[in-house]
Amino acid sequence: MNRTLRLSILASVALMSLGWAGASQAQQNNMSFFITSVGSGKGGDLGGLTGADAHCQQLAAAAGAGNKTWRAYLSTNSTPAAPGINARDRIGNGPWQNAKGVVIAKDVNDLHTNAQINKANGLNEKGEPTKVRGDNPNQHDMLTGSTLEGRAFPPNMNLTCNNWTSSNFGSAMLGHSDREGIADTVYQHSWNSAHMSRDCTQPGLVATGGNGLFMCFAQ
Amino acid sequence: MQKTLRFSLMASATVLMFGASAQAQQGPQAPNMTFFVTSAPIGKGGDLGGLAGADAHCQQLAATAGAGGKTWHAYLSSAEAPTAKGVNARDRIGNGPWQNAKGVVIAQNVDDLHSANNKLSRDTALTERGAVVSGVGYTPVWHDALTGSDREGRAFPGNINMTCNNWSSSQFGKAMLGHIDRTGLADNDYARSWNSTHQSRGCSQADLIATGGNGLFYCFAQ
Repeated sequence: MNRTLRLSILASVALMSLGWAGASQAQQNNMSFFITSVGSGKGGDLGGLTGADAHCQQLAAAAGAGNKTWRAYLSTNSTPAAPGINARDRIGNGPWQNAKGVVIAKDVNDLHTNAQINKANGLNEKGEPTKVRGDNPNQHDMLTGSTLEGRAFPPNMNLTCNNWTSSNFGSAMLGHSDREGIADTVYQHSWNSAHMSRDCTQPGLVATGGNGLFMCFAQ
Repeated sequence: MQKTLRFSLMASATVLMFGASAQAQQGPQAPNMTFFVTSAPIGKGGDLGGLAGADAHCQQLAATAGAGGKTWHAYLSSAEAPTAKGVNARDRIGNGPWQNAKGVVIAQNVDDLHSANNKLSRDTALTERGAVVSGVGYTPVWHDALTGSDREGRAFPGNINMTCNNWSSSQFGKAMLGHIDRTGLADNDYARSWNSTHQSRGCSQADLIATGGNGLFYCFAQ
């Protein structure tokens, strides 16, 4: 009896898995990089790194890629109670590919020197393009809180909206998903460290040129 | 006729200048001073009129203390822009040594100033009038000095606006601040830093006050 039940549950799970796989595009199961289609809606308050990771996992699952462990590309500053965390150290070893199977980087170093993140490849979990410069509205600002190398800033700089817990304090360091900005500088072309947000509110992020979106990576 | 007018204008100007300097001389005089904290803000938050405006403010306050004969520079960095290179506060202030209005030497040279060995404290970081700046434990708390600098006195990278748009805006960006009294919320190197402790809430005068300052900054002369 017990065994029958267990088998039947297993069978259901297997069927459900099949159903999920069938419903989504086959390529998406191999997806290991995406830009969130939506943000938390609370500006820079993502519920900390944990909340941001859960957001990645939830969006990935809805797109049929929930079988991997997803991490948000975000850094946090050190505090008296905890050391800082570098976004580059959270995302596994790569390679990572988007929902269409395009590899955006081979490994962590490649990601921070030669990333193929751009307007064409910067897709969300559903394989849709992100609204960028030239679109209306422009939502190309990605929350990162990181340096060009994907590392945390010193603790006297709050470029992480209080380590992604506040829509009031600090500001957010942002990347440009389309690698385009208002000037021809290394920063404006950066996917992970272009400029700061006006503040940490949702309207502040929108006014800066974003919507509180961020990037998710899986192994 | 024209010549007479010009003379009369000059005479008026002289009288005005004389009047102004006579008034200024009512304050304490510190002709040998080469370091001070501004006793008063410009009043427009992080908009200081750029580095030039900040330097002029230093010069003007120094003059009221009888130290206007030197060339004064504000201790402020500005970030690199597409059209201009960044400027490091540490490169603007001469070689030292620098002494406050009471004659106390606060640092021997640029490296000494940016080391744990400098003599900056609540009791030595005095205004041009020789007064202590109201800090932690007093009301109001005005211990935040505008610097826009890292702990070594250098500018931040061009993607970081910790200079209120290079001291031209009371709206955009933030200001990196130092603690004039070397005292903050936590007991760590940053809270004790005179030049790079934390950023302001915003760049308006109200934001600077809410953060724990009043838009004051450091001035140095050679």
